[in-house]
Amino acid sequence: MAEKKRRIGFAGCPPESVLAPRRAADLIDLDNLVEGVEPRSESLLPRTTCRIIRRILDNALALGLDEIVIDEGYGKCDSARGLADILEQILEVPIIRTRNENREGAGTRICDSNLPPLRKMELILDGLVNPRELDLTPEPDPPAAIWGVPAADLSIYEIFPDGTRVLGWTRCLENRTPSDWELEMEVPEGVPTVFFAQTFCPKNIIAQHLAQARGGLHVDVDGVLSQPVRAKIEAFLHFRNVRR
Amino acid sequence: MALLGDFGTTWTKLLDTDTGRRCVLPTREAAAQGRRADIATGHSARRWASRHLNELIALAQGGRRLIREPEFLLLDVGSRDVKYVHMRDSDLLDMDWTATCGALTGFTLELLGNYYGIDYGRVEPAQKSVPVTCGVLGMEQLFELVSQGASETEAVARFARGIAMNAHRFIGEPERFYLSGGMCDNRLFQLSFPQDVEVRALGRFVLIEGLIPELEAAAPPIITAAGEDT
Repeated sequence: MAEKKRRIGFAGCPPESVLAPRRAADLIDLDNLVEGVEPRSESLLPRTTCRIIRRILDNALALGLDEIVIDEGYGKCDSARGLADILEQILEVPIIRTRNENREGAGTRICDSNLPPLRKMELILDGLVNPRELDLTPEPDPPAAIWGVPAADLSIYEIFPDGTRVLGWTRCLENRTPSDWELEMEVPEGVPTVFFAQTFCPKNIIAQHLAQARGGLHVDVDGVLSQPVRAKIEAFLHFRNVRR
Repeated sequence: MALLGDFGTTWTKLLDTDTGRRCVLPTREAAAQGRRADIATGHSARRWASRHLNELIALAQGGRRLIREPEFLLLDVGSRDVKYVHMRDSDLLDMDWTATCGALTGFTLELLGNYYGIDYGRVEPAQKSVPVTCGVLGMEQLFELVSQGASETEAVARFARGIAMNAHRFIGEPERFYLSGGMCDNRLFQLSFPQDVEVRALGRFVLIEGLIPELEAAAPPIITAAGEDT
């Protein structure tokens, strides 16, 4: 009888040295939406917890994992560290804590390509589980940019035109350098940029600061993209003459 | 000929660009009649028009057409939300739209007026306000005032002042701004802003005016929504 494949969940962007020996298992990125998982984190987390941390906990509770790897270093956030403690207490599963200090960039070819931004995000979010070589065309003159962490509701990326540059922590994620602050703070001059963070995420501080400094737009979204936030992004792009 | 529509949560505003005829009717009535517009904006626009424009863009474009100043701040107080744009020439300097903290303010004011039979044209503004973080929480405060012995008119006037103060803070406390939406017909609301603040009411058809550039992009004639009611 075939041995059951181990199911290993991970959160954040753990170092490849930790992921590589586990690739024979079913690797599941707990930051990503898993269809059918019911929210159960409500009673375990404060109301001021961002949607991604909630999702990680919901996924960890629902998926019957054999092991969980949590990157809790400078490349993730304090909430991930707290979450690792919670999971250690309520699940009888080994919790591996990592701190990804990698500075050997894997490149940002997806972020800089001419693809629609939603497709970019799908590729980046799938990239840790399914790394692959892609034939991509760079976009040297991006019409717009979106800075930030991956949104819980990916429909936000549909508002932007093809070739929109992806910046911020998402760029660090593609580069496999999640704690590279310099890369995270890179914003090209003259490109209309929307600075995004999950509601309640501390990255809102820097998102707002950068938006003010660069004449961009700061938005935060708690889960589902609301009509007012969508309208603000559309209006920002419209009056900067960015057309889809 | 084209029919332009602003399908708000409670009220629908329509402009027939051929005759210049404008009308305002309850959105549920417009829905029951199956009214469809060629281009629309507003909360329910996607359901009732083949082309729609988001309300912030419509508000900015409408303001640009109606206000003869290079720089302006325009606030729209709707039934369920509050939004504003700050324009300089064709640049959008700032904007915001809240459907949470300012939620249901216009709707609640209208509801209270009907409930207590208050004519807002005859009520003097209150000197004090109730804290209105949203329509529902503000209403709780209002009923508390009534239970403490305030007249219903006084309580509603304080509520209106609370809404006005909240909206004024929301737009950065300017000395002067333009107002759009149903509250342009509400004298009490306009008088409830701080005394030294100048409020210039533009009426309920600002967003519709903002749809006209969309129409002109398809066909060149110049049309105005600011004409006479027919």
